[in-house]
Amino acid sequence: MKGKYHIVVQNNKLRYELDIRRNITIIRGDSATGKTKLINLLEQASTLGESSGVEVFCQRPCRTLSGNDWNLILPNIHKHIIFLDEENKFVKSQEFAAKVQASDNYFVIITREDLPNLPYSVDEIYGIHTSGKYHNLKKTYNELYRIYSTESFSPKIRPESVVVEDSNSGYEFFSEICEKNGTACISAGGKSKLKTEINKLGKESVLVVADGAAIGSEMNELYQLMRSKPAVKCYLPESFEWIILKSGIIGGRIVQDILNHPEDFIESQDYLSWERFFTTLLTELTQNSYLKYHKNKLNKAYLHEKTKQSIIKVMEYINWNEQA
Amino acid sequence: MLKIVFGDVENAVYHPPTYFDNRYEDEWITAPLSVKMIKDIDKSDVIGTHLIQSPVLGPISTKEISGGVKTLILMAFDRSGRIFNASSCGDNCAKWIAELGRMEDLTINLHHVMDFSSVPIFEAVMLNTGVTVHNYEEYLQEALKIKER
Repeated sequence: MKGKYHIVVQNNKLRYELDIRRNITIIRGDSATGKTKLINLLEQASTLGESSGVEVFCQRPCRTLSGNDWNLILPNIHKHIIFLDEENKFVKSQEFAAKVQASDNYFVIITREDLPNLPYSVDEIYGIHTSGKYHNLKKTYNELYRIYSTESFSPKIRPESVVVEDSNSGYEFFSEICEKNGTACISAGGKSKLKTEINKLGKESVLVVADGAAIGSEMNELYQLMRSKPAVKCYLPESFEWIILKSGIIGGRIVQDILNHPEDFIESQDYLSWERFFTTLLTELTQNSYLKYHKNKLNKAYLHEKTKQSIIKVMEYINWNEQA
Repeated sequence: MLKIVFGDVENAVYHPPTYFDNRYEDEWITAPLSVKMIKDIDKSDVIGTHLIQSPVLGPISTKEISGGVKTLILMAFDRSGRIFNASSCGDNCAKWIAELGRMEDLTINLHHVMDFSSVPIFEAVMLNTGVTVHNYEEYLQEALKIKER
């Protein structure tokens, strides 16, 4: 499934508005914000339809999924937006992750658990807040807010150390920049090892660079760790390949159009998370050029001064202390 | 003393709100501690055993209070010996969990690293490692060492 979907769920006392644009969306946050109520309304609407008194407006059918027979039901649902409440322990199973990968549905999962089997984006972790009364003052209006906002991670900093999630091309690129200005560059060797690397560091200014498109499962712990180490900042672009594409050195206007609204181009069934799409796009676009991209080994053409500076420019909140 | 165990454990209730709906006792609801917790977390007033006044939904039944508060009430009053999953509670319940642990021995189960940073005085035994932590920083570092979730 592709695209962004605006969902309105309401009865005469509550109104929820959500925008869902990726295959996996997580809702968590404080107690008593209306998460379970949202599920209850959707459940009533999908069971009883209009006669439930609940109105659901969306271009795609919305429904809930629960119970022990979820794995029999899920393969028969297509092009739906499926909501799962926190009582469903199966969401953290490998079996569920495999079913999500094979599915052409979008999933909205209410959970405070990290779900490391699912590669979800830092941008798709939301809480619900009440933004006031709606029209007739009888109805409370609820909407989603991003728990990890971009602003929290993007002050302009000059890092003394850089920790890169990646150990491939991305690491090689950042390694080269760091070497030029005497900054240490460490590869964490995977997103789950970032916390260990951060913990090893002292009080110096540290920049963590990781793929925002799939780092969702690490964010709760990473965020708490960062609060205890204020000198640690995160830069979480979709992926290293996204930075290259964003720099404008490849593809021109068509690529920029894709980057402006990737959800309209990325088929969720083909790409479990967006960074895989950006890797494929970059690899295909550069196939027959001097910038031919390999994820495993950085093509040295990306380190040519002009190209490198174009890529660095994308990371506008970071002072790399390096002049062209 | 608060005791925390991460990951799947025997005798744990994974979804306390469902357990609450089927097991709560009327007198738990009107106990002063529950009245305070319902007011603080749900911003709702306990009118009686079967009636809660919510600012959003109006008069509601006891079964419509939040999952977080249901879990806190179970932690405070249930004497079945079960361990309740505190991952059903948002971070706004953290201070109440710490408070309940100060009042008497309380073992909770977690499937995520709950944020106790808002709790000024925090002490707990991490049952996975046996280590006692004396503040949030120590808790976070110990929790990150534990693989079970």
